[in-house]
Amino acid sequence: MDTILLVEDDKNQILLYEQELAIEGYKVVTATNGIEAIENARYFKPDLVVMDINMPMMDGIESMCRILSEHKNIPIIINTAYSNYQNNFMSWSADAYIVKSSDLKELKDKIKELLNKRKKNDNDKTV
Amino acid sequence: MLPDIIKFRLEDIINNISDLGVAGLALLDHDLNVVWANRTLSSILKLNYDPVGKSCREIFDCECKDKNSCATLKVLSSGRKQYSEVQLSADKDTRKYLQNVSVPIKDEKGCITHLLKITTDITLKEEKIHQYDLLRKLAELMQGTLQIDRLLHLILTCVTAGTALGFNRARLFVVDPDRNIVFGKMAVGPSDVAEANKIWNEIAHKYKMLEDLIKASEDNYQYDSPLHMITRLMAYSLDDENEVIVSCIRKKKVIVERNAFNNPNINKNFVNMIGSNEFVCVPLIVRDKAIGAICADNIYSKKPIRDEMVMLLSTFANHAALAIENADAYKTLEKKIIQLKDAQERLVRSEKLAVIGNMAGYIAHEIRNPLVTIGGFARSIIREATDNKTIKNSAEIIIDEVNRLEKILAVVMDFSKVAKPAKVKTQVNEIVDNTISLMESYFKNIGIEVVRKYELMIPDIVVDQDQIRQVFLNIFKNAAESMQNGGKLIIETSKEDEYVRINITDTGEGMDADTIENIFTPFYTKKREGTGIGLAVSQKIVDDHEGFIKVKSELNQGATFSIFLPVKK
Repeated sequence: MDTILLVEDDKNQILLYEQELAIEGYKVVTATNGIEAIENARYFKPDLVVMDINMPMMDGIESMCRILSEHKNIPIIINTAYSNYQNNFMSWSADAYIVKSSDLKELKDKIKELLNKRKKNDNDKTV
Repeated sequence: MLPDIIKFRLEDIINNISDLGVAGLALLDHDLNVVWANRTLSSILKLNYDPVGKSCREIFDCECKDKNSCATLKVLSSGRKQYSEVQLSADKDTRKYLQNVSVPIKDEKGCITHLLKITTDITLKEEKIHQYDLLRKLAELMQGTLQIDRLLHLILTCVTAGTALGFNRARLFVVDPDRNIVFGKMAVGPSDVAEANKIWNEIAHKYKMLEDLIKASEDNYQYDSPLHMITRLMAYSLDDENEVIVSCIRKKKVIVERNAFNNPNINKNFVNMIGSNEFVCVPLIVRDKAIGAICADNIYSKKPIRDEMVMLLSTFANHAALAIENADAYKTLEKKIIQLKDAQERLVRSEKLAVIGNMAGYIAHEIRNPLVTIGGFARSIIREATDNKTIKNSAEIIIDEVNRLEKILAVVMDFSKVAKPAKVKTQVNEIVDNTISLMESYFKNIGIEVVRKYELMIPDIVVDQDQIRQVFLNIFKNAAESMQNGGKLIIETSKEDEYVRINITDTGEGMDADTIENIFTPFYTKKREGTGIGLAVSQKIVDDHEGFIKVKSELNQGATFSIFLPVKK
């Protein structure tokens, strides 16, 4: 079972994402700010990170950069309500940028796609 | 006491002295008949007979009837010296002004026995006064006009008006320092002798006062008169110093050509275009720089150009140059004020947009998060409530509403995005065509006929194609929404001054004045489904391209949006 690290400061949204992603068959671990995200990434070694940007303590972009410096191949999806962050080149190191929507289809599709890609890469390496 | 010799010869002496002087003398008896006169009087009055024995009235040709109007009669009644001035007009062109002083001569008892009438020719002095007065009047008139074209026309009218400087024709030349040329700007005067006679007769009857003439001619300047058109064709390089006009401007000197056709020292290009053997060119000088010149002649009346007219014209030219400078400065100032006002308006608008944009972005962000939760859980409710139709329907309604809100948020977020235009050189007709093709099927569905009137040789513009397409799209959408029962959408492109103009006209509902005023205000909308952002964004985009949008509409009369985009050189 793939583990997804969900970084989100909105409690209600955490509930929603946990419920929806569990249905899709993922194990969901959460963090409510950027610092906690770095710690949980070290601890849980997730297969993918879904990262909000606007959060207390440390924002999602800085947190993402630190996680990537420690875990090079981990796919990260930025999931934010604010499309403007796309203009920030720092956000370009994410594997995908999704503007939050109540329809989670886009997010779910992206997760599936990135996980498959990662597995394929891993297989190629072992072969 | 006088020596006896002088006493005996007194009459001779008096005669000699009196003939030397500039004054005409006449001794009148009590009945105002001349008993003695000197020769100067005959020459001043141009008499070809001996005045002695004639009556005063006869030789002075005056029309005074009683002692109230006749200075000479007044001397008899008052016993005191009297002055009077008379204007003699031998013919239409030469006027003569005389001053008469009548002095009573009394006997020992104090009774008046004779009158001495001293007559002096004051024509020169009078003419000078008249000229100064005229110049003052013209200067006053010129100072009252700040519109440059009107002023130039006024200047030329002054040069040609019979009651002013009275030349037959006048042309105005202007220096263009950028192109290093002097060119003909305007001309006033008849184009041939027949027209000249006709005009002069008309004007003499119609306009007694200079002001009336100027007022009348101001309103009907003939831009298509042959003289004006020929003058507009005249242009000379400032290096061509052998052309009279160029030399006048370069040397800043008045030039009077009395025999231009036969003057071997000058080029004939200018002379031939003027077509007159005798003419005068006076420079218009402002702060030691010649900004142009006036060229005047008497081609029809063939009257020689007198030196005092040249003097008068050159003094007038100084006033005219100053007035032109004033008007020019005023025009520049006016332009600057408009620019400033425009810049200020843009600033306020963009500041307003920026504030609204930031706020909209913030609010959108804050609203989007709870919407995600609401809509997300509504979806999970639908999934869970497979059997309960009521719950399922209710959840579907929640999802619909959330979707609608999310759509609006997307538009608002777009608005708050500050994207710098990525400009490329392009043809506006292509962008318009492109945009129309995006909406073609929509137009067809609601019965809108699209009419294209493109200017084919339209210059390129440098714009962000996507953004400009967005502008057209917004306006097309509005137009289509106002023509839900079909209509016509007319799109015209044309070049206007430094801009390319795109006119988008619909035959829809139109707008009232209040709506037009607010139409570009962000979030102002009269549509149930509208966000009030489309036109605000359109204006921001056009602003960013240094263009502007104008709207013309009346209720039930359709609307025309005119978009102006600058043509970059």
